[in-house]
Amino acid sequence: MPNKHSWPKWAAPVLLSAALLSACGVTPSAKSDASQPASSASAGGAQAEMDWSKLGDGSQKGKKITVLMVDTDGRVAEMAKKFTEETGIEVNFMGVDYNSLFGKITTASLSSSSDIDIIEMDTIWGGQFYEGKIAADLTNVMPKETLANYTQSSVDSVIYNGHVLAIPYYSSSKHLYWNKKLLADAGYDAPPKTWDEFRDMSKKLTKNGVYGSAWSWKQAESLNIDFDTIVAAFGGQLLDEQGKLHVNSKEAVQALTYMTDLLHIDKTVDPSSLQWTEDDVKNAFSAGKIAMMINWEGMYPDLNNAEMSQVVGQTDVGLIPGQGDIMSTAVSGSEGIGIMQSSKNKQAALEFVKWIGEKGFQLDNFKEMGIYPSLKSLYEDPDMIAADSTETLGKIVEQFQYGSNRPNAPGYVEWADIQSNEIYNALVKNKTPQQALDDAADKIDQAIQRAAK
Amino acid sequence: MAEPNAAPKRKRAKFTPAMRHDALLAYVLLVPTLYILFRIFIVPIFQSSVWSLYKYNLMDGSDPKPVGFGNYVDIFKLQDFWTSMGNTVYFTVFSVAAELAIGFFAALLLNHAFKGRLLFRGMIMIPWAMLTLVSGLLWNWIYQPGYGALTVVLHNLHLLPDTSNPLWLSSSTKVVTFSAIADIWKMTPFMTLLLLAGLQSIPHSLYEAAVIDGAGFWKKLRHITVPQLLPTAIVAVILRIIGAYRVYDILTVFTGDAKTSTSYLTYNYAFRYFYLGKASAMAWVSTLLILILVIVYMVLLRRNQDSHL
Repeated sequence: MPNKHSWPKWAAPVLLSAALLSACGVTPSAKSDASQPASSASAGGAQAEMDWSKLGDGSQKGKKITVLMVDTDGRVAEMAKKFTEETGIEVNFMGVDYNSLFGKITTASLSSSSDIDIIEMDTIWGGQFYEGKIAADLTNVMPKETLANYTQSSVDSVIYNGHVLAIPYYSSSKHLYWNKKLLADAGYDAPPKTWDEFRDMSKKLTKNGVYGSAWSWKQAESLNIDFDTIVAAFGGQLLDEQGKLHVNSKEAVQALTYMTDLLHIDKTVDPSSLQWTEDDVKNAFSAGKIAMMINWEGMYPDLNNAEMSQVVGQTDVGLIPGQGDIMSTAVSGSEGIGIMQSSKNKQAALEFVKWIGEKGFQLDNFKEMGIYPSLKSLYEDPDMIAADSTETLGKIVEQFQYGSNRPNAPGYVEWADIQSNEIYNALVKNKTPQQALDDAADKIDQAIQRAAK
Repeated sequence: MAEPNAAPKRKRAKFTPAMRHDALLAYVLLVPTLYILFRIFIVPIFQSSVWSLYKYNLMDGSDPKPVGFGNYVDIFKLQDFWTSMGNTVYFTVFSVAAELAIGFFAALLLNHAFKGRLLFRGMIMIPWAMLTLVSGLLWNWIYQPGYGALTVVLHNLHLLPDTSNPLWLSSSTKVVTFSAIADIWKMTPFMTLLLLAGLQSIPHSLYEAAVIDGAGFWKKLRHITVPQLLPTAIVAVILRIIGAYRVYDILTVFTGDAKTSTSYLTYNYAFRYFYLGKASAMAWVSTLLILILVIVYMVLLRRNQDSHL
């Protein structure tokens, strides 16, 4: 007779799994939970662990910090060895590629890990890093006058809503590059100073397989950057006073209309631009069939390398055009180096942060990596000028004066995706510029409401 | 006196103390592996089902709170979700149908003896062996306007006027279509292999009997090959539907438009916007759809096995 009380074979493993799962704590924990050391430190608590005035007193010697930065070939890690030599603080350097950086930082925060002390912060992440309690607030740690030593674009990139979250790491923005030979052939000896001039010149430059300009207008952040640049030149403000993206202003519609006109009415933009990012534009410009492009620093020395370029010695770099009273505008791509709020070695990490902002590292970084310093004084420093083999330093730094930051509110990444999608819709003529930007504004509103639910 | 109806007692295996010791040791040695599998497979699956019932936004400073099925309601109301679902279905139907058709004829070809068949069978595996992301980068180059291989070849064949320079990836529909073409190139070998295995299991006697009855190539194909291959083809198609439904990586190379697939949209919600509750709900909707396909697959597989018994 079968045993009435026998259990099915699967009962034991299922019950065991259920018991283990319930013990694992699978429900999301509140950021303010005491059980979450990564997030429990209040801003005040974080500040109490750091004292700028005690930096360099040797008290941190022998400590070890973990640094997470973009470094694909180990050159930054090599430079960081000098920090250990100078301070006696050991560095565990984790070099990653840029696309992995955000995920690694957020995963560390999500898992309440205190393994990472130092993080690299892109200009658009400030809001998420502050509201998500990822980066330590350095507002009352760093002396007020410190930031005055750095370029405006790099300073803007480390501040969210008045809170300083990092030390400026480097300066970066887009610039106008032009092919002097193609301009001369069309009768021009200088680049355009306004977008109206840019349009007129483009018309004359577009002939015999040459296009007036090429752009990184693939549906990606690069498209937003170019759009934001032109909106600012037309006097528009993309962020309203509440920090919300305001994408369908009169000036924004004007800017998008300008872009679609270049593409479809004037036909002076290489149509491939709709499938290109910055590197593709650089390659096309190097082939000598593009008269002007807007791109980041770091185009040299490749443009003057005969193995990679057909425009050796033919190009120059300078200010992106403005419009009316506005001399020039540029979108900043500067970054900062901050401290994880979950770090257990905050004072040692602060030593590293200070070191990153000093002349020694900033100069090495320019020499080794071609990265432009955030430290203002370096741009007139004889060592720096001697290291400027392409002699573009003055032109690059001039553009930084006109740099403006993209929004860095916590929801920006989603808003930016919506914005680039709708701008692209206008560029491929699925919608009019007005309709596309109105739709973008509606969708951003909906996204904000969804996020609040 | 023995009981007349007493069933013979089941003979119980006798464990010696040494055997018990070995069994215990085996279990102890299994524990680390089981623990790791439990933590990296079972816990995340269960965890995401719980998260899908919470408002859990990592990056806006808000605390998680339970919202019941609110996330599911939200994503069902989300136009982008349905657009992505439509694109995913289009991608899946287009790519799997083409893979089946091309795979079937390639399998027929490879089932015949010809010189260099072994080499050809080896070569056909190359696209399948390639990483999807690498394949995406390769096709991204092919689809480049101007100097891209597709445009150049079409210009040289005079199928495209010299003045024409199409943008192959300039809309979501085009991106999905051309991604599907890249997927067809990559995954047809998989379909070919499965169908080839099916073809080789068809008894030759059937074909011989048909030849005696005067059947030609098409009649043999219609009355023998297709019906005999059908169980294998159904299984192959369902496996490919499951694979194609999850398309993600190749699209990230071609566009920043996450509406091109449900997996892409889910990824963005989870790892770009950090709406972990909503992303978990999206992932569970996809999982349930795939689960239905798996059940269909298992039922068909069982029928297939039964028909061979």
